[in-house]
Amino acid sequence: MSPSPPAVIETSGLTKEYPGGVIALRGLTVTFAPGVTGLIGANGAGKSTLIKTLLGLLTPTSGTAQVLGHESATDSERIRQLVGYMPEHDCLPGDVSATEFVTHMGRMSGLPATAAKERAAEALRHVGLHEERYRQIGTYSTGMRQRVKLAQALVGDPRLLLLDEPTNGLDPAGRTAMLELIERIGTEFGISIVVASHLLSEIERVCDHLVAIEGGQLLRADTLSSFTGVSQTLVVEVEEGVAALLEELARRGLAPRAYQRTQVLVPLGGSGAGSGTGTGTGTADQAFDVVIGAVADLGLPLSRLEQRRHQVEELFRDESQEAGNVS
Amino acid sequence: MSASATESVIHDIGYRRYDGPRLRRAAIVRALAWHSFRSAFGFGRSAKAKVVPVLALVLLSLPAVINAVSVSQGNPRTIGYDTYIVGLRIVVMLIFVAVQAPELVSRDLRNRVLPLYFSRPLRPVDYPFAKYVAFTAACLVMIEVPVLVLYAGTIVSVHGGSAVWAETRALIPGLLVGLMWAVVMAATSLALASLTGRRAFATGAIAIFFFLTEILAVVVLHAETRGDPAALTHASTAVKVAGLFSPFTLFDGVRRWLGGTGGDQALVPDPGSFGVVYAIVLLALLAASLLGLAARYRKAALS
Repeated sequence: MSPSPPAVIETSGLTKEYPGGVIALRGLTVTFAPGVTGLIGANGAGKSTLIKTLLGLLTPTSGTAQVLGHESATDSERIRQLVGYMPEHDCLPGDVSATEFVTHMGRMSGLPATAAKERAAEALRHVGLHEERYRQIGTYSTGMRQRVKLAQALVGDPRLLLLDEPTNGLDPAGRTAMLELIERIGTEFGISIVVASHLLSEIERVCDHLVAIEGGQLLRADTLSSFTGVSQTLVVEVEEGVAALLEELARRGLAPRAYQRTQVLVPLGGSGAGSGTGTGTGTADQAFDVVIGAVADLGLPLSRLEQRRHQVEELFRDESQEAGNVS
Repeated sequence: MSASATESVIHDIGYRRYDGPRLRRAAIVRALAWHSFRSAFGFGRSAKAKVVPVLALVLLSLPAVINAVSVSQGNPRTIGYDTYIVGLRIVVMLIFVAVQAPELVSRDLRNRVLPLYFSRPLRPVDYPFAKYVAFTAACLVMIEVPVLVLYAGTIVSVHGGSAVWAETRALIPGLLVGLMWAVVMAATSLALASLTGRRAFATGAIAIFFFLTEILAVVVLHAETRGDPAALTHASTAVKVAGLFSPFTLFDGVRRWLGGTGGDQALVPDPGSFGVVYAIVLLALLAASLLGLAARYRKAALS
């Protein structure tokens, strides 16, 4: 291995057992490099427990964690000064303006009053809130609220951002905007970012690295390109005639399988799309044409045709299938 | 990076690092306490949020203002510094803490803002500590400002240094009684409010706690004293114990134990040596409230 820059997060044998006997982390040993890293895991995989342990809010049962070179068990105050955290759930008061709220949160990050005011205005500008910032947060759309959450994480000039499901509840346009914002913060602002998500397809657009955990254990940690070699899937939803469609698609050279009664999944790219650099647009277009042709010829009522989002479970299934090939 | 329509609102102004000074934990706690103190009076909130605090302060100060007018016309001061108008103070302070304690703690619970605090340099115990200091100060303002108005309104009309000195000496126990009220009422109401994020429930819980315990104590007292506790010189054990039921009778029991006067503003008869029990129960209530508050946020930091 070539010498790499110092890690932003390093855990070693990190284990967290809750008083009830639930084990959220099982000897997790993983390193997060600088840059944007996706933290992938299903609900309950241990993402939130990991984040809270890194912030020093939870004491690990055993093992250690270092964040930006500081030990989480002994130096968590320093860590919390250097880290910005955006929780998954809604965490904003409705009856104050974004400016007031982010300014207050800047104060709580340790900024003097004047600096907090200035940086709050800047943070809100960076996330794309302008005149609206004087309006009460209660009047905001979900997308704007997510931006305020990001701004409050950014206000204290963190060296590392921990973002928990930042695209939660956003429509496709909002998601794209949020992801572009994250990418921009990671590349232009020079702030390392950990994005926790259960949707691989979302964060693969912005991440340099991925860390996948399941059941509190490390599943895989690697660069993005080595992750996304797995095939992509087209989802076709028809209101009726699934059986006929399956037959027709198979005849036209695709490998469809039925899914949830009204859906047909079509793997894209086959063996040729393993490079991981592109998103397989060319093969996707071809497959789209084939599917549309088949649906039209059969006269089926098509209700959905799109490239399927990777669910974590799917990634894991692919993992276990390919486990033998990974070297 | 492509400039798509969705990011047209994001201006391309470079990111600036912050190299200035950073506050230490103690200074952050102070900032949070100041912020909370202001919000206890509705500052930084809508005009609606200021209604209850302002009305409460005006209502509580009214007797002191009337006193100032009365004393200026040559009448003696009739309101005691240590008792003030105790019935009015009970009702107004009960409403004040029932409405404003949830403003300080239930809002943050409801809006789930706490993780944002706990992911910052603050420790879990710092948050309730700052809230408690802030609310005690707010209660102090509510209680002591009328007392100080009473004092100021009186000394501008009395003549001679000895008269002013006498007023000042009477004032000091009054201020201390107010401090006792503020320290305990703030702790108990915040502990109750921190149990729920639903403001209405929190307000209800606080009002019911202070009101019911007061009713309970008063009913037993009146049954025993035929409605005039002050007239009773040798209180029965039942009467003394009844005074332990409510924070307000506890305040008054401790006040009288420490030498406070009787008269028609006294809630309980002189407890004599039993007064130490009043003090112990009051301290226990304070300790339980503060420990409960701290435990609530230790738990909240982990969830």
